[in-house]
Amino acid sequence: MIELVRDTYRYRELIWALALKELKIRYKRSVLGFMWALLNPALLMLVLTLVFSTIMRFAIPHYAIFLLSVLLPWTFFSQSLSYAVESIVSNGDLIKKVSVPKLVFPMAAIVSNLINLFLSLIPLALLVPAMRHPFYWTWFYLPVPLLALTIFTLGMTFFFAAANVYYRDVSHILQVVLSAWFYVTPIIYSLDFIPPNHRWIFKLNPIIYVINGFRLAVYYGALPKAPSIIASFACAFISLFIGFAIFSKYQNDFVFYV
Amino acid sequence: MPANGIAIRVENVTQRFRVIHERHDTVRELFSKLFRQRSSYSDFEAVKNVSFDVPKGQMIGLIGRNGSGKSTLLKIIAGVYRPTVGKVHVTGSLAPLIELGAGFHHELTGRENILLNGLLMGYSKAEMLEREQRIIDFAEIGDFIDTPVKQYSSGMYMRLAFSVATEVDPDVLLIDEILAVGDAGFQQKCFDRLRSFKQAGKTIAFVSHSMDQVEQHCDRVLLIDKGSILAAGLPHEVIEAYQSSMGLEVVGAH
Repeated sequence: MIELVRDTYRYRELIWALALKELKIRYKRSVLGFMWALLNPALLMLVLTLVFSTIMRFAIPHYAIFLLSVLLPWTFFSQSLSYAVESIVSNGDLIKKVSVPKLVFPMAAIVSNLINLFLSLIPLALLVPAMRHPFYWTWFYLPVPLLALTIFTLGMTFFFAAANVYYRDVSHILQVVLSAWFYVTPIIYSLDFIPPNHRWIFKLNPIIYVINGFRLAVYYGALPKAPSIIASFACAFISLFIGFAIFSKYQNDFVFYV
Repeated sequence: MPANGIAIRVENVTQRFRVIHERHDTVRELFSKLFRQRSSYSDFEAVKNVSFDVPKGQMIGLIGRNGSGKSTLLKIIAGVYRPTVGKVHVTGSLAPLIELGAGFHHELTGRENILLNGLLMGYSKAEMLEREQRIIDFAEIGDFIDTPVKQYSSGMYMRLAFSVATEVDPDVLLIDEILAVGDAGFQQKCFDRLRSFKQAGKTIAFVSHSMDQVEQHCDRVLLIDKGSILAAGLPHEVIEAYQSSMGLEVVGAH
């Protein structure tokens, strides 16, 4: 774990440069370029708002905000994983020629998606007043769940990136896992919709606590209770410890399998 | 730690590779292991119990046939492979030119690649920015520096890569069969630079098939065959041994 902190700090400039490279290549050859990072969530919001305010009417007021408050962090999570799972394999040529700590590749995937997440929060912040939803001071609490989510994602990322080196099926399995995970997590719905005697099953989902923090802060203008915050960080650090332990155990052998 | 004056020390290094026949890369492999099916791999020793020292300020040449283990050895020194057995010590900073332009991204401009490549070799952004202009000048890239490298000619690409790797001023430079490219003028420039490197007390390990280059520039030569050192010594001696062994085999084949 010391290795993780030390190498991250030592190679921070490389991680940043790789993340920017990724973004640059992602938006390359599009006329609007980087603007897409803002436009994508903005257009998604427009669609959601139209759909849920006219066609499908839920009993939840300002449903678009209710949804987006957790959909954006979820997108960060799932996109980071989808990018990072291939990060070692796709940089195989490089790993075979230059001695570089392998953790920079999944890290860079996370950082580039974090930048995307920050950019997507801008249209959300504009949507809130546009829908006449109150702009709560609890927005300032967002760095806390953001930190927990980043740590959680990092751990998962290390695990899947390492596993994918040995079994390329992992990246396919991950897509299935992510889409199933999306539906068992209260993103498009609320935990309140679930009968109380079944809720404990949902609470086994390690990402639910951190997701809850986002929705409370943005949509309800409330802060999560202490046990929920502790649970979110506990899940995050367990994920990081397991994920990085596996990654660092195998990282020196990656070069033989990429 | 190696004694004073030793830049590269290779101690009893063996590198074993698992060669997988009919590779699947899939969960099926996992299942076949679980069910103890006939294993479909064999071990192959690319480098076998090799030891040697390179004193500071020397240029050492590695020669041998294709697949003899020269490049593997270089990659072990570069830290790309962790050897199965044995140890490698490198004193000072190291620039691995295992392949020119490894780490270059085609969509990025020359300038962006200079930075990225330097960061990959472990240098800081400030160090790279400071050297940027000298790198561009040496590579003779001119205005193309802000063009994506995919539009470079192969010569420009190589010049830039060589320039980045040597301008960062490493203590140890590893070169794998790269100086065969580029026009004669640039090749001369490269060798001039290598010579000034040596004069500055820096160490170079050089893999090449060009016996002329090896004879002309190296202080010592190792002949590698099937992963072991077959001969070591002065360039003309080892090259002679190599060429006569090659010759014998050609004769023997008839």
